[in-house]
Amino acid sequence: MSARSCSPGWERAFDSKMKDTADEALVRRVAGGDERAFLELYDRYSRPVYATGVRLLGDAQLAEELVQDAFTSVWQAAESFESERARFSTWLYRIARNRAVDLDRRRRVRPLSVGEDPLRTVAGGPEPEAGVDGWDLARALSRIPDEHREVLTLAYFEGLSQREISRRTGVPLGTIKSRTTAAMKRLHRIMTRPLDEETQHE
Amino acid sequence: MSEDRFGDLLGPYVLGELTPKEERELERHLEACSSCWDELRAVWGIHNALREAAASEPPPELRARTLARAKGESSSTALSRLRWTVWVPMAAALLVAAVLGFGLLRSIIYDPSDGVPLTATALAPEAGGEVRGEVVGENLQVELEVWGMPELRENEYYEMWYYAEDGSRISCGTFRTGPGGRTTVNLSAPASARSYPEIEVTREPDDGNPAANGDEVLRGSLVQL
Ligand SMILES: [Zn+2]
Repeated sequence: MSARSCSPGWERAFDSKMKDTADEALVRRVAGGDERAFLELYDRYSRPVYATGVRLLGDAQLAEELVQDAFTSVWQAAESFESERARFSTWLYRIARNRAVDLDRRRRVRPLSVGEDPLRTVAGGPEPEAGVDGWDLARALSRIPDEHREVLTLAYFEGLSQREISRRTGVPLGTIKSRTTAAMKRLHRIMTRPLDEETQHE
Repeated sequence: MSEDRFGDLLGPYVLGELTPKEERELERHLEACSSCWDELRAVWGIHNALREAAASEPPPELRARTLARAKGESSSTALSRLRWTVWVPMAAALLVAAVLGFGLLRSIIYDPSDGVPLTATALAPEAGGEVRGEVVGENLQVELEVWGMPELRENEYYEMWYYAEDGSRISCGTFRTGPGGRTTVNLSAPASARSYPEIEVTREPDDGNPAANGDEVLRGSLVQL
């Protein structure tokens, strides 16, 4: 009994091929109705979208709505995404910002409750390049090798110790330690080097 | 320890995961080595950024909800909508009648244009809700509206289920509520959920256990007696 047949979140099938795919290629798959590609993009970018929602709307409930709105737009508009014109992260950021404006407008229809701030900064809000709300980090994470992303995800987002990561992955502890360090240095390089240089390395 | 070995330990160092001996040796080395010191600063920056990102993690069940909603909204625009006719196979209906112990089975056909009302349980007498649905392709797309739901603790969520008297059940997805315990969400289940005669909404602890182990807050029936 108890088939949780419509809640795939419980088992994040680890598809290493998918994990190594660039954002832009994933969007093309989403345009073809590929759910796993969609969830991979969600795993990469739901945090910055959520953080943007919390920051701009000041409300966790609305931030959740923003995540749903933004990713629903990704699913629907994937076909119209042009990778020559924008990075996925930039495109998603614009979607999220526009949806935040919508959510804020809807909220203003009802009176503000105590402690709730009207949204003032959204319309002219910062670009993701400015490094707000973890967008740079999410994009950089999507660009490091699979095995690097894996150790950092397990350590920081799933809270595993280095020893637990070693056990989970079957990789010796010493290797996990040096790999964690290498992954962090690599992220730092990607986040600090100029944009044009970054694209040359694609 | 070789020079490379020290540089390799910076990640576990900022994570506080070195043995006391490793930590002492690395700190001694750092006092003398400016290149490792520079690298440590970079690693600290990344460490802080990762910590901050981890702190703004959306609730885990939002992932499934977002997929369900994305699929629901797009298929409803792409496909022609089949109005939802809830039907209960005779066997299930007879089972319900048998369990209830009387044979007043007048109608098992639900009016497709109406929502199915959800009624409160003792847990939250003020709560109520309504479910509407339609079959789109292989899925049952459900619009669920609830109100007066009790406030959730941070690590709890609501979940809607289709179930049968024999205990078998299908999850339709999870959600949280807004001010006034109110929300309207789009959920989805396999089309086979239509054959389950009962609906319930439970309050589930976020304990990693996907089975229903929470309390029933709302219930409804697709069988009219
Ligand atoms: Zn050194």
